[in-house]
Amino acid sequence: MSAIGYILMIIGALFYVLGGLGLVRMPDVYNRLQAATKATTLGTFSLVLGVGIAQPVWFVKTLLIVVFLTITNPVGSSVLAKASYIYGVKPFKLSKNELDKLYKSRGDENADN
Amino acid sequence: MMKRVIAALLILVLALFIYGNLYSTGEGKLFPKFGNVNLSERVSNKFINKNANGENGVVTYKETKDAESGSANMVTSIVVNYRSFDTLGEVTVLFVSALGVGLLLSGKSRMKFKTPPNFILKAGVRIIAGIILITGVYIFIHGHLTPGGGFPGGSMIASAVLLFYISDDEFRTKVKSFKFLEGTAGSLYLIFGLLGLTMGGYFLYNFLPTGVVGELFSAGIVPIIYIFVGLKVGSELSNLISDFLSEEGK
Repeated sequence: MSAIGYILMIIGALFYVLGGLGLVRMPDVYNRLQAATKATTLGTFSLVLGVGIAQPVWFVKTLLIVVFLTITNPVGSSVLAKASYIYGVKPFKLSKNELDKLYKSRGDENADN
Repeated sequence: MMKRVIAALLILVLALFIYGNLYSTGEGKLFPKFGNVNLSERVSNKFINKNANGENGVVTYKETKDAESGSANMVTSIVVNYRSFDTLGEVTVLFVSALGVGLLLSGKSRMKFKTPPNFILKAGVRIIAGIILITGVYIFIHGHLTPGGGFPGGSMIASAVLLFYISDDEFRTKVKSFKFLEGTAGSLYLIFGLLGLTMGGYFLYNFLPTGVVGELFSAGIVPIIYIFVGLKVGSELSNLISDFLSEEGK
Protein backbone atom coordinates (compact mmCIF):
# COMPACT_ATOMS: atom_id res chain seq x y z
CA MET A 1 0.00 0.00 0.00
CA SER A 2 2.63 2.50 1.01
CA ALA A 3 4.54 1.94 -2.24
CA ILE A 4 1.55 3.27 -4.23
CA GLY A 5 1.42 6.23 -1.88
CA TYR A 6 5.09 7.04 -2.41
CA ILE A 7 4.71 6.74 -6.19
CA LEU A 8 1.76 9.13 -6.09
CA MET A 9 3.79 11.57 -3.97
CA ILE A 10 6.64 11.45 -6.49
CA ILE A 11 4.18 12.11 -9.34
CA GLY A 12 2.84 15.10 -7.41
CA ALA A 13 6.33 16.47 -6.85
CA LEU A 14 7.03 16.02 -10.57
CA PHE A 15 3.95 18.06 -11.42
CA TYR A 16 5.17 20.79 -9.09
CA VAL A 17 8.56 20.83 -10.83
CA LEU A 18 6.86 21.06 -14.24
CA GLY A 19 4.62 23.86 -12.95
CA GLY A 20 7.61 25.81 -11.69
CA LEU A 21 9.36 25.30 -15.02
CA GLY A 22 6.22 26.50 -16.81
CA LEU A 23 6.11 29.64 -14.69
CA VAL A 24 9.60 30.51 -15.92
CA ARG A 25 9.35 29.34 -19.52
CA MET A 26 5.79 30.21 -20.63
CA PRO A 27 5.39 33.43 -22.63
CA ASP A 28 2.32 35.18 -21.15
CA VAL A 29 -0.08 35.34 -18.22
CA TYR A 30 -2.57 32.79 -19.50
CA ASN A 31 -0.03 30.11 -20.31
CA ARG A 32 1.71 30.64 -16.99
CA LEU A 33 -1.61 30.47 -15.19
CA GLN A 34 -2.37 27.20 -16.92
CA ALA A 35 0.99 25.72 -15.92
CA ALA A 36 0.69 26.88 -12.32
CA THR A 37 -2.90 25.66 -11.99
CA LYS A 38 -2.00 22.25 -13.36
CA ALA A 39 0.77 22.04 -10.78
CA THR A 40 -1.36 23.10 -7.84
CA THR A 41 -4.43 21.06 -8.80
CA LEU A 42 -3.03 17.78 -10.09
CA GLY A 43 0.21 17.98 -8.11
CA THR A 44 -1.56 18.58 -4.84
CA PHE A 45 -4.13 15.91 -5.71
CA SER A 46 -1.61 13.15 -6.11
CA LEU A 47 0.65 14.42 -3.32
CA VAL A 48 -2.16 14.59 -0.77
CA LEU A 49 -3.77 11.35 -1.91
CA GLY A 50 -0.37 9.67 -1.74
CA VAL A 51 0.02 10.82 1.86
CA GLY A 52 -3.48 9.48 2.58
CA ILE A 53 -2.69 6.08 1.06
CA ALA A 54 0.68 5.80 2.78
CA GLN A 55 -0.90 6.71 6.13
CA PRO A 56 -4.45 5.23 6.05
CA VAL A 57 -5.36 7.04 9.29
CA TRP A 58 -5.42 10.33 7.40
CA PHE A 59 -7.25 9.04 4.32
CA VAL A 60 -10.59 10.74 5.03
CA LYS A 61 -8.91 14.03 5.83
CA THR A 62 -6.88 13.94 2.63
CA LEU A 63 -10.03 13.11 0.64
CA LEU A 64 -11.69 16.20 2.13
CA ILE A 65 -8.67 18.32 1.15
CA VAL A 66 -8.89 16.97 -2.41
CA VAL A 67 -12.59 17.84 -2.62
CA PHE A 68 -11.91 21.34 -1.33
CA LEU A 69 -9.12 21.83 -3.87
CA THR A 70 -11.33 20.54 -6.70
CA ILE A 71 -13.80 23.31 -5.98
CA THR A 72 -11.48 26.22 -5.19
CA ASN A 73 -8.41 25.92 -7.37
CA PRO A 74 -9.95 25.98 -10.90
CA VAL A 75 -12.35 28.72 -9.81
CA GLY A 76 -9.50 30.87 -8.56
CA SER A 77 -7.43 30.50 -11.70
CA SER A 78 -10.41 31.12 -13.99
CA VAL A 79 -11.21 34.32 -12.10
CA LEU A 80 -7.57 35.41 -12.41
CA ALA A 81 -7.61 34.71 -16.16
CA LYS A 82 -10.85 36.60 -16.71
CA ALA A 83 -9.63 39.53 -14.63
CA SER A 84 -6.42 39.79 -16.61
CA TYR A 85 -8.40 39.60 -19.90
CA ILE A 86 -10.73 42.37 -18.82
CA TYR A 87 -7.79 44.43 -17.60
CA GLY A 88 -6.39 44.19 -21.11
CA VAL A 89 -3.50 41.74 -20.99
CA LYS A 90 -2.82 40.66 -24.58
CA PRO A 91 -2.42 36.92 -25.22
CA PHE A 92 0.83 35.80 -26.82
CA LYS A 93 0.69 35.14 -30.60
CA LEU A 94 -3.08 35.40 -30.85
CA SER A 95 -4.37 33.82 -34.06
CA LYS A 96 -8.13 34.07 -33.53
CA ASN A 97 -10.07 35.81 -30.79
CA GLU A 98 -13.65 34.72 -30.20
CA LEU A 99 -13.90 36.10 -26.68
CA ASP A 100 -13.89 39.75 -27.74
CA LYS A 101 -16.84 39.19 -30.05
CA LEU A 102 -18.66 37.41 -27.22
CA TYR A 103 -18.18 40.29 -24.81
CA LYS A 104 -19.15 42.90 -27.42
CA SER A 105 -22.23 41.09 -28.70
CA ARG A 106 -23.67 40.71 -25.22
CA GLY A 107 -22.87 44.29 -24.33
CA ASP A 108 -21.38 45.72 -21.18
CA GLU A 109 -24.36 45.01 -18.95
CA ASN A 110 -24.30 41.24 -18.67
CA ALA A 111 -21.31 39.44 -20.10
CA ASP A 112 -21.92 35.99 -18.79
CA ASN A 113 -25.20 35.46 -17.05
CA MET B 1 24.87 75.20 25.80
CA MET B 2 23.47 74.27 29.19
CA LYS B 3 20.89 71.99 27.64
CA ARG B 4 23.54 70.11 25.75
CA VAL B 5 25.63 69.60 28.86
CA ILE B 6 22.62 68.26 30.73
CA ALA B 7 21.74 65.98 27.83
CA ALA B 8 25.28 64.66 27.68
CA LEU B 9 25.27 64.10 31.44
CA LEU B 10 21.97 62.23 31.24
CA ILE B 11 23.28 60.02 28.46
CA LEU B 12 26.41 59.31 30.49
CA VAL B 13 24.41 58.40 33.60
CA LEU B 14 22.08 56.20 31.57
CA ALA B 15 25.02 54.47 29.89
CA LEU B 16 26.65 53.83 33.27
CA PHE B 17 23.36 52.50 34.63
CA ILE B 18 22.86 50.15 31.68
CA TYR B 19 26.48 49.05 31.77
CA GLY B 20 26.41 48.50 35.50
CA ASN B 21 23.31 46.36 35.34
CA LEU B 22 23.71 44.45 32.08
CA TYR B 23 27.45 43.80 31.95
CA SER B 24 28.30 43.07 35.54
CA THR B 25 27.91 39.65 37.08
CA GLY B 26 27.35 40.50 40.72
CA GLU B 27 24.76 38.79 42.86
CA GLY B 28 22.62 41.72 43.84
CA LYS B 29 22.34 43.26 40.37
CA LEU B 30 19.12 43.73 38.40
CA PHE B 31 19.95 41.25 35.63
CA PRO B 32 21.88 38.01 35.80
CA LYS B 33 24.72 37.45 33.35
CA PHE B 34 23.67 36.94 29.74
CA GLY B 35 23.18 33.26 28.90
CA ASN B 36 23.47 32.04 32.45
CA VAL B 37 19.75 31.74 33.14
CA ASN B 38 17.73 28.80 31.87
CA LEU B 39 14.56 30.67 30.88
CA SER B 40 12.75 27.49 29.83
CA GLU B 41 12.76 26.43 33.47
CA ARG B 42 11.42 29.76 34.59
CA VAL B 43 8.53 30.69 32.30
CA SER B 44 7.59 28.23 29.59
CA ASN B 45 7.73 25.19 31.85
CA LYS B 46 5.17 26.74 34.11
CA PHE B 47 2.89 27.57 31.19
CA ILE B 48 3.27 24.07 29.71
CA ASN B 49 2.50 22.44 33.03
CA LYS B 50 -0.55 24.70 33.48
CA ASN B 51 0.69 26.13 36.71
CA ALA B 52 2.06 29.58 37.28
CA ASN B 53 2.17 29.26 41.07
CA GLY B 54 4.88 26.57 41.39
CA GLU B 55 4.36 22.82 41.87
CA ASN B 56 5.31 21.71 38.36
CA GLY B 57 3.73 18.37 37.47
CA VAL B 58 3.55 16.44 34.20
CA VAL B 59 0.33 17.01 32.19
CA THR B 60 -1.01 14.02 30.21
CA TYR B 61 -3.49 14.43 27.34
CA LYS B 62 -7.01 13.13 28.15
CA GLU B 63 -5.93 12.07 31.65
CA THR B 64 -4.93 15.03 33.77
CA LYS B 65 -7.85 16.49 35.68
CA ASP B 66 -8.27 19.95 37.11
CA ALA B 67 -5.05 21.46 35.86
CA GLU B 68 -4.83 25.20 36.42
CA SER B 69 -6.04 26.27 32.95
CA GLY B 70 -7.09 22.86 31.57
CA SER B 71 -6.60 23.88 27.94
CA ALA B 72 -4.73 21.45 25.70
CA ASN B 73 -3.59 24.25 23.37
CA MET B 74 -0.81 26.05 25.17
CA VAL B 75 -1.09 29.25 23.14
CA THR B 76 -4.78 29.59 23.95
CA SER B 77 -4.16 28.95 27.60
CA ILE B 78 -1.64 31.81 27.65
CA VAL B 79 -3.67 34.19 25.48
CA VAL B 80 -7.08 33.71 27.10
CA ASN B 81 -6.28 32.41 30.55
CA TYR B 82 -3.11 34.11 31.75
CA ARG B 83 -3.28 37.18 29.51
CA SER B 84 -6.98 37.66 28.94
CA PHE B 85 -6.83 41.37 29.62
CA ASP B 86 -4.39 41.74 26.72
CA THR B 87 -6.86 39.89 24.44
CA LEU B 88 -9.58 42.31 25.56
CA GLY B 89 -7.26 45.13 24.49
CA GLU B 90 -6.70 43.50 21.09
CA VAL B 91 -10.45 43.17 20.56
CA THR B 92 -10.79 46.85 21.47
CA VAL B 93 -8.09 47.82 18.96
CA LEU B 94 -9.95 45.95 16.23
CA PHE B 95 -13.20 47.60 17.28
CA VAL B 96 -11.65 51.08 17.11
CA SER B 97 -10.20 50.43 13.65
CA ALA B 98 -13.57 49.12 12.40
CA LEU B 99 -15.21 52.20 13.89
CA GLY B 100 -12.77 54.47 12.05
CA VAL B 101 -13.42 52.74 8.73
CA GLY B 102 -17.17 52.92 9.38
CA LEU B 103 -16.98 56.64 10.10
CA LEU B 104 -14.93 57.43 7.00
CA LEU B 105 -16.20 55.03 4.35
CA SER B 106 -19.70 53.81 5.20
CA GLY B 107 -22.44 54.50 2.68
CA LYS B 108 -26.04 53.63 2.06
CA SER B 109 -25.97 51.70 -1.20
CA ARG B 110 -23.90 48.79 -2.41
CA MET B 111 -20.94 49.63 -4.66
CA LYS B 112 -21.36 48.21 -8.19
CA PHE B 113 -18.38 46.68 -9.97
CA LYS B 114 -17.33 47.97 -13.38
CA THR B 115 -17.56 44.48 -14.86
CA PRO B 116 -20.22 41.98 -13.80
CA PRO B 117 -19.03 39.27 -11.40
CA ASN B 118 -17.72 36.04 -12.83
CA PHE B 119 -20.35 33.31 -13.17
CA ILE B 120 -17.88 30.54 -12.31
CA LEU B 121 -16.90 32.39 -9.16
CA LYS B 122 -20.57 32.77 -8.22
CA ALA B 123 -21.25 29.05 -8.61
CA GLY B 124 -18.05 28.13 -6.75
CA VAL B 125 -18.81 30.47 -3.87
CA ARG B 126 -22.26 28.94 -3.43
CA ILE B 127 -20.63 25.56 -2.81
CA ILE B 128 -17.64 26.69 -0.82
CA ALA B 129 -19.01 29.40 1.49
CA GLY B 130 -20.85 26.98 3.76
CA ILE B 131 -17.72 24.89 4.24
CA ILE B 132 -15.71 27.99 5.06
CA LEU B 133 -18.29 29.20 7.60
CA ILE B 134 -18.43 25.80 9.31
CA THR B 135 -14.63 25.63 9.43
CA GLY B 136 -14.49 29.09 10.99
CA VAL B 137 -17.00 28.15 13.68
CA TYR B 138 -15.16 24.88 14.32
CA ILE B 139 -11.88 26.71 14.72
CA PHE B 140 -13.12 29.07 17.38
CA ILE B 141 -15.15 26.44 19.27
CA HIS B 142 -12.16 24.09 19.39
CA GLY B 143 -9.69 26.89 20.13
CA HIS B 144 -8.69 25.36 23.46
CA LEU B 145 -7.93 21.95 21.89
CA THR B 146 -6.39 22.53 18.46
CA PRO B 147 -4.39 25.37 16.89
CA GLY B 148 -6.59 28.34 16.16
CA GLY B 149 -8.98 30.38 18.21
CA GLY B 150 -11.22 33.40 18.10
CA PHE B 151 -9.23 35.63 15.78
CA PRO B 152 -8.49 33.05 13.02
CA GLY B 153 -12.03 31.67 13.19
CA GLY B 154 -13.54 35.14 13.00
CA SER B 155 -11.37 36.11 10.04
CA MET B 156 -12.42 32.90 8.29
CA ILE B 157 -16.10 33.82 8.69
CA ALA B 158 -15.31 37.29 7.35
CA SER B 159 -13.54 35.72 4.35
CA ALA B 160 -16.74 33.82 3.51
CA VAL B 161 -18.64 37.12 3.65
CA LEU B 162 -16.00 38.72 1.41
CA LEU B 163 -16.45 35.89 -1.11
CA PHE B 164 -20.20 36.57 -1.15
CA TYR B 165 -19.51 40.26 -1.69
CA ILE B 166 -17.15 39.83 -4.64
CA SER B 167 -19.21 37.12 -6.31
CA ASP B 168 -22.52 38.99 -6.26
CA ASP B 169 -23.23 42.62 -7.13
CA GLU B 170 -26.52 42.71 -5.24
CA PHE B 171 -25.38 40.99 -2.06
CA ARG B 172 -25.46 43.04 1.11
CA THR B 173 -25.15 41.77 4.67
CA LYS B 174 -27.58 42.74 7.38
CA VAL B 175 -25.28 45.34 8.89
CA LYS B 176 -27.58 46.04 11.83
CA SER B 177 -27.76 42.43 12.99
CA PHE B 178 -24.00 42.09 12.66
CA LYS B 179 -23.57 45.24 14.77
CA PHE B 180 -25.95 43.79 17.36
CA LEU B 181 -24.00 40.50 17.43
CA GLU B 182 -20.73 42.36 17.76
CA GLY B 183 -21.94 44.51 20.65
CA THR B 184 -23.53 41.56 22.45
CA ALA B 185 -20.42 39.40 22.14
CA GLY B 186 -18.16 42.22 23.32
CA SER B 187 -20.30 43.05 26.33
CA LEU B 188 -20.67 39.35 27.23
CA TYR B 189 -16.88 39.12 27.29
CA LEU B 190 -16.78 41.99 29.77
CA ILE B 191 -19.64 40.44 31.79
CA PHE B 192 -17.71 37.17 32.08
CA GLY B 193 -14.69 39.17 33.22
CA LEU B 194 -16.79 40.85 35.91
CA LEU B 195 -18.26 37.46 36.92
CA GLY B 196 -14.68 36.29 37.43
CA LEU B 197 -14.11 39.38 39.57
CA THR B 198 -17.02 38.46 41.84
CA MET B 199 -16.34 34.70 41.94
CA GLY B 200 -12.56 34.51 42.14
CA GLY B 201 -11.42 37.96 43.08
CA TYR B 202 -9.66 38.83 39.81
CA PHE B 203 -10.97 40.42 36.61
CA LEU B 204 -11.37 37.69 33.92
CA TYR B 205 -10.62 34.96 36.51
CA ASN B 206 -11.14 31.38 35.24
CA PHE B 207 -13.93 30.50 37.66
CA LEU B 208 -15.51 27.50 35.90
CA PRO B 209 -14.30 23.90 36.54
CA THR B 210 -11.42 23.12 34.18
CA GLY B 211 -12.18 19.42 33.60
CA VAL B 212 -9.97 16.87 31.83
CA VAL B 213 -7.27 18.23 29.52
CA GLY B 214 -8.19 17.52 25.87
CA GLU B 215 -11.97 17.20 26.09
CA LEU B 216 -14.41 19.61 24.46
CA PHE B 217 -15.96 20.71 27.75
CA SER B 218 -12.77 21.65 29.51
CA ALA B 219 -10.59 24.67 30.20
CA GLY B 220 -13.36 26.48 32.08
CA ILE B 221 -13.93 29.96 30.74
CA VAL B 222 -11.50 29.70 27.78
CA PRO B 223 -13.85 28.22 25.08
CA ILE B 224 -16.69 30.55 26.12
CA ILE B 225 -14.45 33.59 25.81
CA TYR B 226 -13.16 32.35 22.47
CA ILE B 227 -16.70 31.91 21.14
CA PHE B 228 -17.40 35.53 22.05
CA VAL B 229 -14.12 36.71 20.53
CA GLY B 230 -14.77 34.69 17.35
CA LEU B 231 -18.29 36.07 16.92
CA LYS B 232 -17.10 39.60 17.62
CA VAL B 233 -14.14 39.46 15.26
CA GLY B 234 -16.19 37.79 12.52
CA SER B 235 -19.02 40.30 12.62
CA GLU B 236 -16.60 43.20 12.96
CA LEU B 237 -14.55 42.21 9.93
CA SER B 238 -17.73 41.52 7.93
CA ASN B 239 -18.93 45.02 8.74
CA LEU B 240 -15.53 46.35 7.71
CA ILE B 241 -15.88 44.60 4.32
CA SER B 242 -19.40 45.92 3.83
CA ASP B 243 -18.17 49.43 4.68
CA PHE B 244 -15.39 49.17 2.13
CA LEU B 245 -17.79 47.98 -0.59
CA SER B 246 -20.52 50.57 -0.06
CA GLU B 247 -20.93 54.06 -1.48
CA GLU B 248 -22.90 57.22 -0.87
CA GLY B 249 -25.55 58.59 -3.15
CA LYS B 250 -28.84 57.68 -4.80
